[in-house]
This record gives sequence, C-alpha cells and structure tokens, in this order.
Amino acid sequence: MAAAGGARECWRVMRSELTAILQPQSRRELAYLLLVLPIDLICAALLLLGTFFGSVLSITPLGPWLLAGVLRAAAGLGAKRRRLATRLLGERVTAPVRSPAEPGAFGWRRAVLSDPAGWRALAYPLVKVVVAPLSVLLGAGFYAYGFAMMSFYPLQERDFQAWVPVTWFFGLAVFLSAPWTVRLVLLGERALIHGLLGPSRSGQRMTDLQESRDRAVKDADITMRRIERDLHDGAQARLIGVGMHLAMVRELITADASPDTVVKAVDTAQDTLSTAVAELRDLVRGIHPPVLDNGLDAALATVAAGSPVPVTVEVSLPRRPPPALESIAYFTVCELLTNAGRHSGADEVTIRVDLRRDVLRLRVHDNGRGGAFLRAGGGLAGLSERIRVVDGRLSVNSPAGGPTVVNVEIPCPASVERA
Amino acid sequence: MRIVIAEDSTILREGLAQLLAVRGHDVLAAVEDVPALFKAVAEEPPDVAIVDIRLPPSHTDEGLRAAVRLRQQWPGTGVLIFSQYVETAFVAELLAGGSDGVGYLLKERVTKLDDFIDALHRVAAGGTALDPDVVTQLFGRTRHRDLLAELTPREREVLALMAQGRTNTAIAAAIRVTERAVEKHVTNIFTKFDLPPSDTDHRRVLAVIRYLQN
Repeated sequence: MAAAGGARECWRVMRSELTAILQPQSRRELAYLLLVLPIDLICAALLLLGTFFGSVLSITPLGPWLLAGVLRAAAGLGAKRRRLATRLLGERVTAPVRSPAEPGAFGWRRAVLSDPAGWRALAYPLVKVVVAPLSVLLGAGFYAYGFAMMSFYPLQERDFQAWVPVTWFFGLAVFLSAPWTVRLVLLGERALIHGLLGPSRSGQRMTDLQESRDRAVKDADITMRRIERDLHDGAQARLIGVGMHLAMVRELITADASPDTVVKAVDTAQDTLSTAVAELRDLVRGIHPPVLDNGLDAALATVAAGSPVPVTVEVSLPRRPPPALESIAYFTVCELLTNAGRHSGADEVTIRVDLRRDVLRLRVHDNGRGGAFLRAGGGLAGLSERIRVVDGRLSVNSPAGGPTVVNVEIPCPASVERA
Repeated sequence: MRIVIAEDSTILREGLAQLLAVRGHDVLAAVEDVPALFKAVAEEPPDVAIVDIRLPPSHTDEGLRAAVRLRQQWPGTGVLIFSQYVETAFVAELLAGGSDGVGYLLKERVTKLDDFIDALHRVAAGGTALDPDVVTQLFGRTRHRDLLAELTPREREVLALMAQGRTNTAIAAAIRVTERAVEKHVTNIFTKFDLPPSDTDHRRVLAVIRYLQN
C-alpha cells in the first residue's frame, strides 16, 4: 500500500514537472523575462546618462537638481516594476518608506538626494544592464535550443539514423526543463526586486511598527467604547433604576401602603442593586482581573476553575513577566479557552505557559474536532494582531478532526521587566 | 398629565411608568424606539413625551432628533429629553428650534419625584426645564466667563434658576428673597446682557440661550 502510494505520489510530481511548460504561470514568467530586457536597457541608458550629466554638472547649481530628478525617475520606474512583478510573477513587494520631504523645493531636493530608497532604485537598472541579457540568454535560450534540436533534424535529415531520436529526446528534455530554468533565473530577479526596490530592513520595521501602533490605538478606542457602552447600559442604568425603586418605596410609605407592598418594592430595589454590582464586577474583571496581581499562574488557575471544559494548567515561570505582557497572555488564554469550549467540542484542554530564553510561550491544546484557522476578520486573526503589537507571534495547528494546538510566543527580555 | 415614554432600558421604562402612575398620571404608552414613539403620539397626542436621548438603532442621538421632529409635528406636546449625561451641544440643538415646551433632565432626577413632576408640568405647559447640571456646565464654560464676570454672585444664582425654567416666584422661594428682589436681579441681568425690554418671558429665554448658542 505504502509503496503504491509512494509511486503515485512520485508520478504526480513528475507529471507536474513535465507539464510545467503548459501552465499559464510559465508563459507569464517567460513574458516577464522577455519584456523587461528592452525596458531595463533603455531605462539604464537614460538613468546613466542623467547620472553622468548630473555628476558632471554638480559644480554648477543645475547638477543636484538633475540628480534629484534622476533619483525620482528611478523610484517611479521601480514602482512600475513592482507592479509588473505583482501582475506577472505574483511577487508582492511593498513600497519602500520615503523620507518625509521638508517644505520648499530645496527641502524636496535634500529629501530626495538623502533618501537611500532612491539610490537603491537607481542601482536596480544598473545591475540589470548585466543581469537582464544573461537571464534572457539562459532562460529563453533553453526554450530556443530545445525547440531547435527537436525541429532541426526531423526537418533537415532525409535518411533515418540511430542518433536522430536520441537528439530529439534530448531536445525535448531541454525544452520541457526550460520553464524551470526560467524560474531559477527569476529567483535572482525576485531577490533583486526585494533588495533594491522593496523597503530596507529598517524601513520594513518602521512600517511594521506603524501598523502595530495603529492597531493598538484602534484597539484601545474600541475597548473604551465597549466599556462606556457597558457602563451606560448596565450598571449606570441599574443604579438609576435603584433610585426609582427607592422613590417608589417613599411614595408607598407616604401613601400608607401595606407593609407587603413596601417590602416587595424594597426587594426589587435590592435585586436591581445586586445585578448592578455583579455587572460592575464582570466589567472590572474584563479590564484587569484583580487576581492577575498575584501572578499569571494564580489568574489562569481561576480561569481554569471557572471553565465548563476540564482544563489542566502547567505554568513554569522562573521570573514574572512585566504586567502588560501578563495581561496580554491572560486575555489570550481566556479567548483561546472560550474558543475551545464554544467551537471545538473538546472535553480536555491543556494550557502550558513557560518562559525560556527571554520568550514567553503559551500553548493551548484541545482534543476537539479541529479545523480552526486564521481567517481575516475572525477571532483568531484579531488575537494574532493584538499579539503582534508586542512583537509576538501566534500560530495555529488544527487539522480537521483535531487536535488543535495554538502556540503563542511573546518576546520578554529581562530588561523590559525592570523598565 | 397624559404622558408617553420612549426609553430602551426595560428597568428604567417600567420604573418610570410605575412612578408616574402612582402619582396619578396617565401613561398612555411606554415604548422602546423612535417609530413606536411616533405611532403612540399619532394615536393620542400626550401632554408631554419623555424621550431617552440614546435610542436604537445607533444609540447616539436618535432621541434628540425625534424630539426636534416631535416638537415640529405636534406643537401641543411638550418633550422632555431624558439622558444619563449632560451634553451642552445636544441641549443647544434641542433649544435651537425654540425653547417652548422642551426640557433636558438627567435620569437620576427622577428620584426627587416632586421636582421631576414639577419639571414635567412646566414642559407640558409650554415652558422650559433644564437640568441644574446643564446650567452648571454652561456657567463653567470659559468663553462665557467675560459675560458672566459682569454679573454679581446673586445675579448668577438667579440666572441659574432661570435657566432651569423657574418662575420669579419659585426663584424667590428657592433663594429666600422677596419676589421684588428677584425682579430687580432679573432686570439687571437683562441690562448687562444688553437685552432690550420687549416681552419679558421672551427675554428670559434669550438670556439663557445666549449661553447655549455662543
């Protein structure tokens, strides 16, 4: 059985390799390779010319302006190239972060000349002057050579010779492997686009930080609104209700109502008051559970005790993480536990928390039916975003049929703790 | 009084209806959203409608918009806005359509039932009832400091009570002076606010609105 399965798998891979030439992706990749060669050569020529004159003229005031223009043009061409790569190669590269321009034309010029992203964009066509012809030679060459070998002998040679089928098959092999050569060549191109036309590492970090800051701000706003709403519709309204009940009691007493009626009104007031207090308690726990002050292990033990699904908690923390991380870890585990109870039908959940080599790790394992995944806009995706705010990561492993394992890693350097 | 209540919190809606019924008022309908409010008022226009400012669907200011429309469509029905917080912008919007037969009270004022029903009577009779907190907030607004600086403490006190919709007699009782003295304070306020003598009641309203619409 296993051997048959292995053979089938092997045949499947082979077939997909042999038929790569028929895939639309291969056509797009070849088109890209052929299309960018003339563009690259023309762009490089123009930009080189511009850079040359810009440098020569740099003793005059005109030089820096020309150079800045060339850099902006290079950046613009880079953007066009990123779009082309997205369309034909499916390679998504985010735009580099541009230095903010100071006011005025001279501010603009200074910003453009000092922006490393512009210089990298200028380097791209200059590198491509050499790389692009070689790529075409290699990639398209396989297509052409293979095709030529297959077609030349059958057309030219009249009498059959033993080596003709051999060359023919060799030509076919070259032809069929051509898409893979193109793919190999394009690996270099993809790397170039990422390195020279994409954001630099610090730029990427800046974008990430900006995104996570936006998320944090949005998250805080949503939380504040939710708390306002809960208070307004819950405890605040109920306390006013208690006031109304007391006013009613007063009315009844003034009107000499029977003690039974008065007691009933007081009971109603007390019930409403208890509900208000319970709602406030829940709200407070949702903001910051007081038991968290005693540490993550105590807080998680409380959560486990209140869970409808049996939960085992293993906590091994050599030191206490900073309060903010404890809080995030706590709410993450709470939400994962709620998910496990609500969606997976699990009857056993294990929570493991440990802190090793400055990384706080959470692992929530359930024996439910699995099939959980990070869907955009879903609960897990929201959780993942909140964890990314503190540079953490969330990964889900949940094959259909279970079990589900969610791993969370949050960097927790010792120095942060003291801060 | 015949009263319609629009309030989405069940506890408050029922509590209020019971309290008003105990005092012998006729609660024609107690509803939880704007369409039901208009239906109830159209069926039998009440003397006054008590409208929560936050009603479904968006729970922002549906009640306020409903109140403004209600005043236009049924001039005989007073509207008392019922809110859990004071928002002077909302008060100004409410008064922009005229200050007759409108009121804005915090919900907790219900616990002082006598005062609450007084306010309802004023609104039902075409008067104004503003929450003391609304008035305090207006007095605290910095841009009115200059105007207020010209008033004596006593005159400010009188203006505060005036803004709540009290008559001279009620003001006199509240600050324990003669009605003549209150009249003098009021005239001083009009002079300092540069409100020429015309219809006295109208000037009272203008004096209050001067704070709201700046």
